[in-house]
Amino acid sequence: MSKEERAKYFFLLPAVVLILSFLIFPLIYSAYLSVTDWQIGKAPEIIGFSNYLKVFTDRRVHNALSFTLLFMVFTILIETPFALGVAVLSQLRFPGNTIFKVIFTAPFFTSPIALSYLSITIFYEEGGPLNNLLKLLFNIKIPWISNPDYAFLSLCLIDIWQWTPFLYIIFLAGLQSLPREPYEAATIDGASSFQAFRYITIPLLMPVILTGMLLKMIESLKVFDIIYALTGGGPGISTESYTMYIYKTGFRFFRLGYAASLSYILLIILMILFTVLAFRLRKVYYE
Amino acid sequence: MKRKSIKRILTYAFVILAGVWAIFPFYWALTTSFKSKVDVFKPLFIPFIQFEPTLENWINEAMLRGDVIILGLRNSIIASLTSATLCVILGGMAGYALARFRFEKWKNRDIIIWFFSLRFLPPIAVSIPFFLIFMNLGLIDNVVSLILAYTVFFIPFSTLVLRDIFKGIPVELEESALVDGCSRISIFRRITLPLAAPGLVAAFIICFALAWNEFLFALILTYRNATTIPVVIAGAEHSQGVDFWYICTRSIIAITPPVVLATIVQRWLVTGLTLGAVRGAR
Repeated sequence: MSKEERAKYFFLLPAVVLILSFLIFPLIYSAYLSVTDWQIGKAPEIIGFSNYLKVFTDRRVHNALSFTLLFMVFTILIETPFALGVAVLSQLRFPGNTIFKVIFTAPFFTSPIALSYLSITIFYEEGGPLNNLLKLLFNIKIPWISNPDYAFLSLCLIDIWQWTPFLYIIFLAGLQSLPREPYEAATIDGASSFQAFRYITIPLLMPVILTGMLLKMIESLKVFDIIYALTGGGPGISTESYTMYIYKTGFRFFRLGYAASLSYILLIILMILFTVLAFRLRKVYYE
Repeated sequence: MKRKSIKRILTYAFVILAGVWAIFPFYWALTTSFKSKVDVFKPLFIPFIQFEPTLENWINEAMLRGDVIILGLRNSIIASLTSATLCVILGGMAGYALARFRFEKWKNRDIIIWFFSLRFLPPIAVSIPFFLIFMNLGLIDNVVSLILAYTVFFIPFSTLVLRDIFKGIPVELEESALVDGCSRISIFRRITLPLAAPGLVAAFIICFALAWNEFLFALILTYRNATTIPVVIAGAEHSQGVDFWYICTRSIIAITPPVVLATIVQRWLVTGLTLGAVRGAR
């Protein structure tokens, strides 16, 4: 091995070895767990794929998957146009533009746990600021957390608050990389700014929009902190996400084997989504 | 002319609404933390005019639960600083390797996509093996387990960001030093690193923020001595109903460091989050 050869592995390998031993190895270990019936206080016994078969008949899995899917679709349908609108507008020059960017991206760095506990106070039914305001304006009171539908809505609002900035950052970067010429041509032809947006920006930005949506979809499948803190999956199990169900199975009911196989199902779903994304990336990312 | 001014007003209205929407929770937390217990549940939003701000909550918090919060802060700082440092060192090295060398068997592109795929691993999927492995190592409720978990989880991010930064530094500088007989490692230390310094700082701050906000691992791997700030917040709520004032003081403590640090470096975020997919999509 030449000196140059040695150098390149010297630089790359520490990170790779660390990941293999503390990330990939646990995943392999978890694959083993998933075919056992291990519960705390009981020796593990290999039971083959019956955990995986059980998943198909587990009603809580269906409930958790449909909640997660609904949550994913609902939030992304609101966040995408919201982020796009704000990104397009903050392209315009107005005083306070830079400060606006800083303010609008700040939610993304907020601790989800701190945010969720803050939300408990904001959504508080008796004397919370939101209900106080609604009472003042419309004289109504909304059961933000104790009603299943509103609990879903509250979680969506938190997610929208936190993750719109993520899409905003991506769309802004995309907008800044768009070519100028089509806009100049459109101005000469007398197109309105809405027409320019509709017929130039949207089509040119489409790849970026789709990539952003795909990234956010993958993040939605991981949602855990806000549910743990705000509703704990309740009322009942109406807001129990798939990750929350894995957590409860493993760390509340101590059925480690079953929790591991639930995790693997999540990994398979994510892998499918990631393959779609990686396929897109390989095309743009040629080296 | 008139249509233009209507459009401008609408634009402003939308921008202001979006700004208010983004800032409201921060504003609410800050003002509530200065409200007396009588004022908390009333619809009062403007300090000095609608209510008289008081330091009472902050003082109570420091007196009653100061030690728990300081322990949490200490652990959060140790875990975040150490793991962010490791991420920048190891991720920086890997990023440099991917930016400057050609790998043959597995192409650079494949290694990069492999790193990227790890960004999507849900923490919950490894939480059970993590728990069992760290239990066997005797590292439960020890900051070391958090440092390890955060480092492996955020190294892919720092590798991708730093690779992009090293790519932006001209190769010619290094090549001329190589001709002059410098070794790769001393080139990396003396030429590349100083040039990449701003990017390294940015990656460090983002990894710090990610580790600071992490909750699930801290929840399952710690219970008393190694709890971080998010766990302190989550654990305190059950004591006696919902204490608005303490939730607000603690949230401010938890929110401030990463928000302040990370807004400085937002332009580097895109790379790590999207792997240049945005830029490449032109």
